[in-house]
Amino acid sequence: MSPYYSPAGAFPQAPVHRTPWVLIVAAVVGLIVLMAGCGTAIALFNKGGVNVSSGITSDPPSPTPAGSPSPIASPASLSGPTASNDGVTVPVPPGWVVDSKDTEQITLVDPSTAGVLTVASAPSNPTSTAEEQKNSVDQEFTSKYPDTKNCPNSKTTTGSLNGAKGIFWTLCFTLVSGSQSFPAAISAFVGVNSDGSVFYGLLLLTRQDNLQNFINESAPIVKAIQWKLK
Amino acid sequence: MRCDHCSSDVPDGVFCTRCGAHQGTTVEFGDAKTREHRYAAHPGEHVAQPSVFTTLFPHLGHHKIHEFRWAFTAGLAGILVLYLAGLISAAILVSAFLVPVLYLIYLYEAQVYRDEPAIVLGFTLGGGIVVGIVVTVLERIIYNPLQYNGNPFSNAGVSIGGLLIVGLLMPVAQEALKPLPALFLPNRSDFPETVDGLVFGVAAGLGFSLAEALIGFSSVLTSLPAHVAPGNWIYDLTTLAVFSPLLQGSATGMIVATIWRYRRGRLGGREIGGVAMAVLAHIAFSAGTQVLKDTSVNALFILIWQAAIVGALLIYIRYLLHHALLDEAAHMGYAETVCPSCHMHIVASGFCPNCGMALTAAPNSIKRGRRPRVESPVQPAEKR
Repeated sequence: MSPYYSPAGAFPQAPVHRTPWVLIVAAVVGLIVLMAGCGTAIALFNKGGVNVSSGITSDPPSPTPAGSPSPIASPASLSGPTASNDGVTVPVPPGWVVDSKDTEQITLVDPSTAGVLTVASAPSNPTSTAEEQKNSVDQEFTSKYPDTKNCPNSKTTTGSLNGAKGIFWTLCFTLVSGSQSFPAAISAFVGVNSDGSVFYGLLLLTRQDNLQNFINESAPIVKAIQWKLK
Repeated sequence: MRCDHCSSDVPDGVFCTRCGAHQGTTVEFGDAKTREHRYAAHPGEHVAQPSVFTTLFPHLGHHKIHEFRWAFTAGLAGILVLYLAGLISAAILVSAFLVPVLYLIYLYEAQVYRDEPAIVLGFTLGGGIVVGIVVTVLERIIYNPLQYNGNPFSNAGVSIGGLLIVGLLMPVAQEALKPLPALFLPNRSDFPETVDGLVFGVAAGLGFSLAEALIGFSSVLTSLPAHVAPGNWIYDLTTLAVFSPLLQGSATGMIVATIWRYRRGRLGGREIGGVAMAVLAHIAFSAGTQVLKDTSVNALFILIWQAAIVGALLIYIRYLLHHALLDEAAHMGYAETVCPSCHMHIVASGFCPNCGMALTAAPNSIKRGRRPRVESPVQPAEKR
C-alpha cells in the first residue's frame, strides 16, 4: 500500500514554512546595521575612554655616582606591619591585605579591593636586561587581553625605584575574565641589577579610571619597598 | 507491509511509520531499530554528527535549515567586518544578539509556542534574561578579576581561587538556575514532548547568555571609543558570538529535556547522563578557558577547546533527543500530512515512511494540518 496520498486540489494545505528566507536574512542584516549605529552612538555619547597619562614616578636624582653596582637602601623607613620574602620587604598599611606571597613576589590588595599591587624580586637565570623583562611583561598581557597597548599620552621612561634602575611605563587593556570585562591599566616598573642577575618588578593593576587614585594611594608603600637582593 | 521490527502492518516505505525502524538490510551501517545512522529529527544525518542547527533547531526542515545557516554566516561575516573596521562596540553587540535573534525567528517559524507566544517566550527567553541579569550581577559582587589575575612576573601562573570560582562554582550555579524559567512555565502540560522541552531550555539558555554578555561587557561598551585598533578582539568576539551562547543554550536545553523525559516517566541512565554531561561540559568549558588564558596559551587553542566541548555537548543532545523521538512518536495515530523534511504528502503515524523523520518534531503548522485517517491505511489491502 502506498504511503503517499494525493491532496484534494481545493483543500487548503498548511504551508510547510512560514518565514521567507528574505525575512531571516533581513533580520540579521538589520541587527548588524542597528548595532553598528547603537555602538557608535554609545561611544560618541561617552566621548571615548579615560585619559591615562601618569604612572609610578622614578626616585628623585641622588648624589650617588651613576652606574652603582648595587642598589642603595630605600629612602623611606619601614614602620608597622610588613610582608617579606627572599627578595623584598614591603609595608602593609592598615586596611591593605596580603593576597598572595611566595619566594618571588608579594601581592597586596587595597582596602576597597579596587586595585592590586604586586612587587617581585628574584634571581634571573639566565641574566636579562630591563628591556627584556619589560617585553616579557608586555607579552604576558598581550597574550591574555585583546587590546593591550601603551596608554595614550603616557610615556616610557627610565629611572630608578628605591635604588633599582629600570623602566617605567603604563599599559592599558580590556580585562576579560569569566563573564566580566572592563578597561584596566597597569603602572609598571621592571629593573635589573648591574650584571642582570637579579630582576626587580612592581605592578599597580586597577581600572583605568582609578589608576591615578590608586597610584596616590600606593605611594607610601612604593616609597618604602626594600629590595633585599643585590 | 509488515514491519521487520514491530510487526505492525504499515504503509509501504523505507521506514516503518509506527516505530521508525529502517526496513530492509541495514546491518552494514547500523542497527535498523535504533537507526542511529538516521537522526530522527533530520534523517540525512548520523546521530553523532555535531551539527549546530539540526540539533538546536529540531523543527526546521531539510531546506529551511540552510537558510538559517546562511543567515548565521551572514551575521558572522558582519561581525568580522565590524571588527576589521575597528567598530568593536558594535561587534560586541551583534555578537551578543546574533544567536538569540536567530532562535527567536526559529520559534516563530516552527510555532513551537502554538497559540501562546507571549507566555512561552516570556517564561523561556524572557525568564532566561531575568535569571541572567540576577546571576551576572551576583557574580560581579562575588568575583573580582583584579584579585585573581595571577602573578604577571611568572610566565605560567594559574590562580586557584579564580579557577574555583569561575571554573566550578559559577557553572554549577548557572546550570542549577538557568532551567528554572522553563520549569515554571504555567502551560507546560500543553507541551508534553521532549523536543518541546529541549527548545524551551535552549531559549532560556540563550536569554541567559544574552543578559550575561550585555552586563559583562557593559563597562567596555561605555568606555571604548567609536573606533579602536582591532587587536586580538576577534577571539573574544568568536567566543561571545558562537561558543558561549551555544554552550549556555545546549546545556540548559539538555537539562530541561531531561526533566521533560522524567515527567513522561522516562528517567534512565541516558537522561541522568544528560544532566551530568551538561554540568561537566560547562565546568570544562569555563575552567579550561580560564586555565588556558592564565597559562598564556595561544587564543586559537582556547577556541578549539571551546569548540570541542560544545561539539561533544551537541552530540549528546542528539543522542538523547533521537531516542526520545523514537519512543514518543511511536504512539501517534495515522493521518494525512506533509513531511517537513522530504516535503512528500504522506499517510503516516509517527514517522515519515519515505525519509524516516519523526513527525513530532514537525513545525506546529504542519501538525495542525494533519487530517486523521479513521481506518488503518492497510485495511483495504487486507480485505482483498
